[in-house]
Amino acid sequence: MSFRDLKERFDTPTALITLALLVIGIFSVYSATYDAKASETFQKQLLFVVIGLVALTGVALIPFRLLQLASYPAYFLSILLLVSVLILGRTVSGSTSWFTLGTLRLQPSEFAKITTVLALATFMSRSDVSLRTFRHLLIAAGIVLLPVVLIMMQPDTGTAIIYLGMFFPLLYWGGASRFTLVAVIAPAAAAVAALFGTTPFLVAVLVSGVLLYVTKEHRIVAAGMFSLTVLVGISVQFIYESLRHYQQKRIATFLDPNVDPLGAGYNILQSKVAIGSGGLIGKGYLHGTQTQLNFIPEQWTDFIFCVPGEEFGFLGAATVLFLFLALLWRGVSLGATIKNRYGSLVAIGITAILGTHTFVNIGMSLGLLPVVGVPLPFLSYGGSALLAAMMMVGLLMNLYAHRKEY
Amino acid sequence: MNQQDDIEIHGKQRVMYAIIALMALLYIARLYQLQLIYSDEYGRKSEENSIRTIPKEPVRGTIFDRTGALVVDNRPAFTVTLMPFEFDKRNTGYLSILLSVDPEFIHDRLKKGEAYSRFAPVKIKRDVDFRALSSIEENRERLPGVDYQVESKRYYTSHAFAAHILGYTKEISETQMKALGTDYAQGDVVGSSGLEAQYESTLRGQKGAEFSMVNARGQVIARVDRGKSDVPAVEGNDLVLTMDFGLQAFAESLMAGRRGAIVAVDPRDGGVLAMVSKPDYDLSLFSGVTPPELWRALNGDEAAPLFNRATLTRYPPGSTFKMLVAFAALESGTITPHWRVTCQGGFRFGRKVFKDLHVHGSVDLVTAIQKSCNVYFYQLMLKLGLDNWTKYGDRFGFGRLSGIDIYEENPGLLPSTAYMDRRYGKDGWTRGYLPNLGIGQGELGVTPLQMAQYAAVLANRGEYHQPHIVHAVASKSPRRVDTLSFQSRLIGAAPATWNVIREAMRRVVEETGGTGGQARVQGIQSAGKTGTAQNPHGPDHAWYVGFAPYDNPRIAIAVLVENAGFGGTAAAPIAGMCVERYLYGRLVRTDAPPAFRAPRQRPLAPQHAGIAP
Repeated sequence: MSFRDLKERFDTPTALITLALLVIGIFSVYSATYDAKASETFQKQLLFVVIGLVALTGVALIPFRLLQLASYPAYFLSILLLVSVLILGRTVSGSTSWFTLGTLRLQPSEFAKITTVLALATFMSRSDVSLRTFRHLLIAAGIVLLPVVLIMMQPDTGTAIIYLGMFFPLLYWGGASRFTLVAVIAPAAAAVAALFGTTPFLVAVLVSGVLLYVTKEHRIVAAGMFSLTVLVGISVQFIYESLRHYQQKRIATFLDPNVDPLGAGYNILQSKVAIGSGGLIGKGYLHGTQTQLNFIPEQWTDFIFCVPGEEFGFLGAATVLFLFLALLWRGVSLGATIKNRYGSLVAIGITAILGTHTFVNIGMSLGLLPVVGVPLPFLSYGGSALLAAMMMVGLLMNLYAHRKEY
Repeated sequence: MNQQDDIEIHGKQRVMYAIIALMALLYIARLYQLQLIYSDEYGRKSEENSIRTIPKEPVRGTIFDRTGALVVDNRPAFTVTLMPFEFDKRNTGYLSILLSVDPEFIHDRLKKGEAYSRFAPVKIKRDVDFRALSSIEENRERLPGVDYQVESKRYYTSHAFAAHILGYTKEISETQMKALGTDYAQGDVVGSSGLEAQYESTLRGQKGAEFSMVNARGQVIARVDRGKSDVPAVEGNDLVLTMDFGLQAFAESLMAGRRGAIVAVDPRDGGVLAMVSKPDYDLSLFSGVTPPELWRALNGDEAAPLFNRATLTRYPPGSTFKMLVAFAALESGTITPHWRVTCQGGFRFGRKVFKDLHVHGSVDLVTAIQKSCNVYFYQLMLKLGLDNWTKYGDRFGFGRLSGIDIYEENPGLLPSTAYMDRRYGKDGWTRGYLPNLGIGQGELGVTPLQMAQYAAVLANRGEYHQPHIVHAVASKSPRRVDTLSFQSRLIGAAPATWNVIREAMRRVVEETGGTGGQARVQGIQSAGKTGTAQNPHGPDHAWYVGFAPYDNPRIAIAVLVENAGFGGTAAAPIAGMCVERYLYGRLVRTDAPPAFRAPRQRPLAPQHAGIAP
């Protein structure tokens, strides 16, 4: 392979962005765990970065055809892992999502996200499959819902949300009708709105109704979807009752952070305080008072964004945000450039996963979204999440190299 | 993909870009809002709102006397506090009635406290009585934000007041707060006079802190690090005094109803054994909150009970100064002890006649001291000259601060040629000013402490030990006692000089014809000198200085009784009884007034009218 050839096939911007985020992540985890006993955490993170780089390279070098062929088997393997983790896994902070392999603990749900994208892309890229066919739509939904149900049983709401965040763009990208898109969104929107109260719920129902009417293909189906939306909204209260206590609490505290100051609401407040107190240029590396006094529980995982926010202020936080923006931009651009439909869908799916992670995580740190346990790619401590994120970048780079192939 | 797909893809790509860009824009806007618009508010929150620091007051060090008796202890006291953000200002009136304080005062306190932090309790009233406390407890629901803390107040266990020495603690003033720096906050107690002020940093200990995490409503929701980061308060160190509070109480009782001072020191090391200044006051009146009426009364009192006469008054020493004149004359070689003067009851110098009380006839130095012959010293002073007098006076510490370890001290005044030139002009004064200085009158001003030190130097033949009240500091962790060191210096002189002067002083007390016979103590040889300081404003002040036992002195004493007339009758017996009480542990003389035999009891409850006589 000539140098020119290499240059043509190597996605330099994505590599540099990833590297930059990894470096910021390493420094952030170090800061967040900066005290006598936590150097172990930091060293583990460093180890995962190294393993991740190997995984990234490995995934990037898998022959494109093999990737496509391996998609379904990989999907079923991850489903198998999700089932077995429910049976054999170990419980960490209330949810059974871990697998112990020697000294490494792996979280199959992190990898299942990738295999689900691969499986969905494989299914949706079949020439005989159309998302305008109800049956095919159901199959696609099934591919996503199977791991979601298994993950919800662990339970891990955050990861489940990621699947939805990935599914919707894929439907859009894959050619689903506008009605389908509205029909998928409407019940979810009504459900969330219902949690906020009657007026938001009525507004959501009204808007959904109008959109469903405008995009309708079959009057009966539209009416059915509308009824479903209303039903979902009304039944949210009952569902809420049936939710696990910590999930209820998270929802309640999102609506009013003062309800449970010790729990999730506290995290939001502390996180906002940490970021807000950073000001324009921050308090300086390792000088964030909120960070260093361990005010933010699990900061090195879900609230890692507070570290650049507090210690490097607006400049630091905006830099991180900009890097993610650039990464997502590259992903979408890749999705649009790739000639191969499978590859295009995988690129969009991967980008959607990374985007959902990013926006949900940062949105939560900024107090814009409820606290759901979603790590920030490349920055949050956690081996599986980091490994998965780097494998996704590996996939993007693999696709980039083969973007001109059909 | 076909061309149709391509166009569609590009449209979708733009939609995706738009969504990503919008999200990023929204988040940037949020960052802008949090970090640039509200950053001050969050910065404040990050410092005080999320961590609430609850200061833990250290227990103030206690004070022991030389015998190991605890003389200043602590007792719990309840302080009512307000949490500014919780307190409903409409309750101010009601609270002011419960606490019997001015509503304006509560308002003012609250405002100052709020300026510091809305989430830090503001101390409203210290040492609240039980009745007020229980009414607050009963009305807890009605009074959100009102709470109380257990603090400590001083508790005095001794019969002695020792008010000027021990000093009082007071709620810190704004001026003190500025001077003392960041360790102090409004409502803190600080030593404001005497040892409490001088040894503030030793006694105070270190404030501790408990860190709690609070929500935006200020509710404590958890301890930071489960309390592992808390800083425990460090107890203050204890003081061990050189004073004997048995003697102190006794000496105070001797001075009851009089104005004046007693200072007794150990001549061997300069440790103060007793220091009385009368009139005085009961420190327990200051242990909680000082009622403003009491303050006004104490400050306005014509007898100045707050004024420490032992270290601050400046009176001429009268005849007690004659030993110094003699010392200067002998050491400067002006005379020998055999130098004689014939006293005819007066001395004419120029146009002025200097009087004596008696006609002493021909006297030598020892007799002149023993009988306190003024004529002898008028002439000796003229022979000696002002410069020699000043030189030796300075060696004994007159006109200088002694460096005693309590707050207030007056250097006194030892006139010198430079001083006289300054005061009267170079040619404005004559040798006619000198004879009076020779008998300790005129512009010479000394403090009772300086006189006790003077007696101590005479007692131990020239060793000047810096006077001090604190012997040692006892710390609790690590448990150790550090003896404080003070300066000492030697006033060199020929042994004969000491012998002559000391023998004269012995005769003053022990031999017939001496003026200090009333200072005599059975079974112990004492030495001393009486003095009577002329007072242009009223009756003369009585002085006595002395030491005992003669051969191996363990106590040196100075007594000043204002407007009491002759030193020999007003001051000498008081000194004698103090020496007796110290050396025997009780009074052995049979002619002592019955009132002096038993130490007075400290009133059990603070009497608010009470300025001690």
